[in-house]
Amino acid sequence: MQQFESAINNCAQISHLVGVMPTGLHNGATMKRLENGLTVIHQEMTTPATVVDVWVRAGANQEPAAWSGMAHFLEHMVFKGTQRLQPGEFDWAIESQGGMTNAATSHDYAHFYITVAAEALPRTLPYLADLLLCAAIPADEFVRERQVVLEEISQAHDDPDWVGYQTLCELLYGKHGYGRAVLGTPEILAARSPEEMRRFHQAHYQPQNMTVVVAGGISQADTLSMVQQSFSRFAQPLWCPEAQPKPIPEPTHQRQVLQLPNIEQSRLTMAWLGPGIADVSAACALDILSMLLGGGQTARLVRELREEQQLVQDISSSFTLQKDCSALSLSMWLEAHQVEAVEARVCDRITELIHTPVSAAELSKAKRLILTDYAFSTETPGQIAGLYGYYATIAEPSLAATYPQTLESTTALDLQQTAQQYLSVDNYTAVILHPV
Amino acid sequence: MTSSTLTKQPTTLRTTLSNGLTVIAIENPVADIIASRIFIRAGHGYETAENSGLFGLLTAVLTKGTQQKDALEIAEVVESIGAGFGADVASDYSIVSLKTVSSDFETVLALAAEVIQQPSFPEAEIDLERRLILQGLKSMKEQPFSVAYNHFRVSIYAGHPYGLTNAQTEACLANFTQADLQSAHQQYFRTDNIVITVVGRISPKLSVKLVEQFFGGWKPPIRPLSAVSFPQIKRSARKIVTVQETNQAFVVLGYLADSVGGPDYAALKLVSTYLGNGLSSRLFVELREKQGLAYDVSAFYPTRLSQSQFIAYIGTAPDNVPVALAGLRKEITRLTTTPLSAEELQVCKNKILGQYALGKQTNCQIAQTLGWYEVLGLGMEFDEEFQRAIAAVTVEDVQSAAKRCFTEESVSVLGPAAAVEPLR
Repeated sequence: MQQFESAINNCAQISHLVGVMPTGLHNGATMKRLENGLTVIHQEMTTPATVVDVWVRAGANQEPAAWSGMAHFLEHMVFKGTQRLQPGEFDWAIESQGGMTNAATSHDYAHFYITVAAEALPRTLPYLADLLLCAAIPADEFVRERQVVLEEISQAHDDPDWVGYQTLCELLYGKHGYGRAVLGTPEILAARSPEEMRRFHQAHYQPQNMTVVVAGGISQADTLSMVQQSFSRFAQPLWCPEAQPKPIPEPTHQRQVLQLPNIEQSRLTMAWLGPGIADVSAACALDILSMLLGGGQTARLVRELREEQQLVQDISSSFTLQKDCSALSLSMWLEAHQVEAVEARVCDRITELIHTPVSAAELSKAKRLILTDYAFSTETPGQIAGLYGYYATIAEPSLAATYPQTLESTTALDLQQTAQQYLSVDNYTAVILHPV
Repeated sequence: MTSSTLTKQPTTLRTTLSNGLTVIAIENPVADIIASRIFIRAGHGYETAENSGLFGLLTAVLTKGTQQKDALEIAEVVESIGAGFGADVASDYSIVSLKTVSSDFETVLALAAEVIQQPSFPEAEIDLERRLILQGLKSMKEQPFSVAYNHFRVSIYAGHPYGLTNAQTEACLANFTQADLQSAHQQYFRTDNIVITVVGRISPKLSVKLVEQFFGGWKPPIRPLSAVSFPQIKRSARKIVTVQETNQAFVVLGYLADSVGGPDYAALKLVSTYLGNGLSSRLFVELREKQGLAYDVSAFYPTRLSQSQFIAYIGTAPDNVPVALAGLRKEITRLTTTPLSAEELQVCKNKILGQYALGKQTNCQIAQTLGWYEVLGLGMEFDEEFQRAIAAVTVEDVQSAAKRCFTEESVSVLGPAAAVEPLR
């Protein structure tokens, strides 16, 4: 899972993007929709730890632009208690029994999870449900916690990779929600009120927007009865200003150079827009293309630019798939004077992918890398709960089963056609960071 | 996680091959994955001002060539089956890590045996990796916390290998030759200095058999390896002020602390848990939840073979530096004067034992933890001993450990001039 997180943090990680991570509903995992519309996914595992991961379709994309940062700020405020729970009481209840809890917000979702021993679930799950369904959002806590979020924003702005990444998103996604920072801005946050946050909470934290994933040492029957009981008291939905969805812009050529203080090394990032979750075939092809360009020491660009020509210190590729679109990006750490040369080389390699089919051996290696990475990412209940929850939130969990199959069946011709459609040497976005 | 869930251990076997190599094999059938860790008893702590960075370069080049294969051929073996394979260095050891789906394990173990026993350290790869490491050192300067912490580390450990400066490392790196790597390899990569752990869907017997097959022919050394010795560093208060025009200032406050073998090790682990672990920890609640001073505030106490360090830190608005520093200081001092309540101590124990169990969920994590204890000379039994030691700590132990540790405070602050200059 490709998560972008601020350097060192305890709570409320900002995971802007989740990379494609194929997953199958395997080992007897089940999904059920309760009468109130809540989705429950369960997988029994013989592990000492049990994870409950609650995914809510209440990410930054659900915010009107004037409320930017609300979803993430709310994720912090959820931990500030309810009529029945004092601020901090939940954290203490989980952690004093040796468990862990945390949360993260991105554009398509917010999610909240606990890791506890299975026998502690009956005591802890009702607390988690109470927090999520009945968040009180006390006014004094709102003011105090806003300071914490402002510190989080300051810290992000001191991280050159965050700054570069945010600039890239703004260019790539334009006015679409993906172009705005999940954290929001200090100005907008200063203008928001607890009342508005309660509206946002009660409008979106509703059963049809939520998926509860439970993985670990607990049976399906026990899971369902516990979830049914705990997740029943949803608040009356309140009216809340809606997001004004904007389309993903057409790809164009964009290039921005930033001079940053405190950086030692120039970076070049080149990114291409791809389809959203609706086109899994093309997503799989881009995933494979990303892998064969920059995934591992034998990948094309790593060999050429890092090992043979030594034009870059390092290079990595990533493919991130969100609900409305995906992006293939290449990041290179290099000397300032090499930027143009490297950019031209990358374009040559892109042209090659557009014109020449990939060999069977190279295709099969890239697939193998992605599929074993998948096997390595489904070892713990936390990983499994995360994968199901993500797919359930941005599409449907059955996609998790079809993704590896689609990936496996992708042909060299598919790769070439996808490259022709999405990868272009004329229309891509480049962000360059230089030391001041 | 209650502690009762901790005792369930998968089938475990520890043995020493006839050439002196230690093997720990654990069967864990949960996932179709095998992880292996090969520990070499030599890391940053074994370096001096004359060869700082040696093991970083050695491990980087180790997987880039053998007598039979060049870097690309090695990478082809690994990537054509999608395995995880890499080498790295830490304070007290160097390590080669493997992770495969079960059916590929033998192939990658054979490769690991080859790079460990017959590395060729190609000149071109040395030059490439040297450049990459130098670059890595430069980019550490881009993260404010890293900079503040690094200054702190260098200052409290002056004269100790844990305190070698990046400038020293850069100077040494520029001069390392192939002969330097070969000689360090010859000195430390030897059967009596290596521990191999294998964890996953494989019987302990088969694991040992495979290790025997690929490492059994390695001749044991004739002379024993002399044990590493560390200089004893005296505590003394230090203050480091770094001016950098950041949005946020960092305050790092800390002390020299007991090694893993020291009498206060378990008690200090509890203290760091109490202060810095999780959303209900004391620093988080007092400085973040109640005062909104920070997003990032915590404490840590790493496990070290030689003298360790106890650190509390906070990232805060420049204007808040004095109050944040006072806040950290107050919470630390409080532990020397006010005993924890019995309940607080019990909660801390639950926390540390529960999270300890959660830190051993994957095959990689299990292989890492047990092999690490073994290579530190504590033995894999330390896994159980540590948990017993935690359970046995009393409130008096915590307070007296705090009194012993929290003397001669050192502080490193980083931020805009107006915020940090007054602390000079």
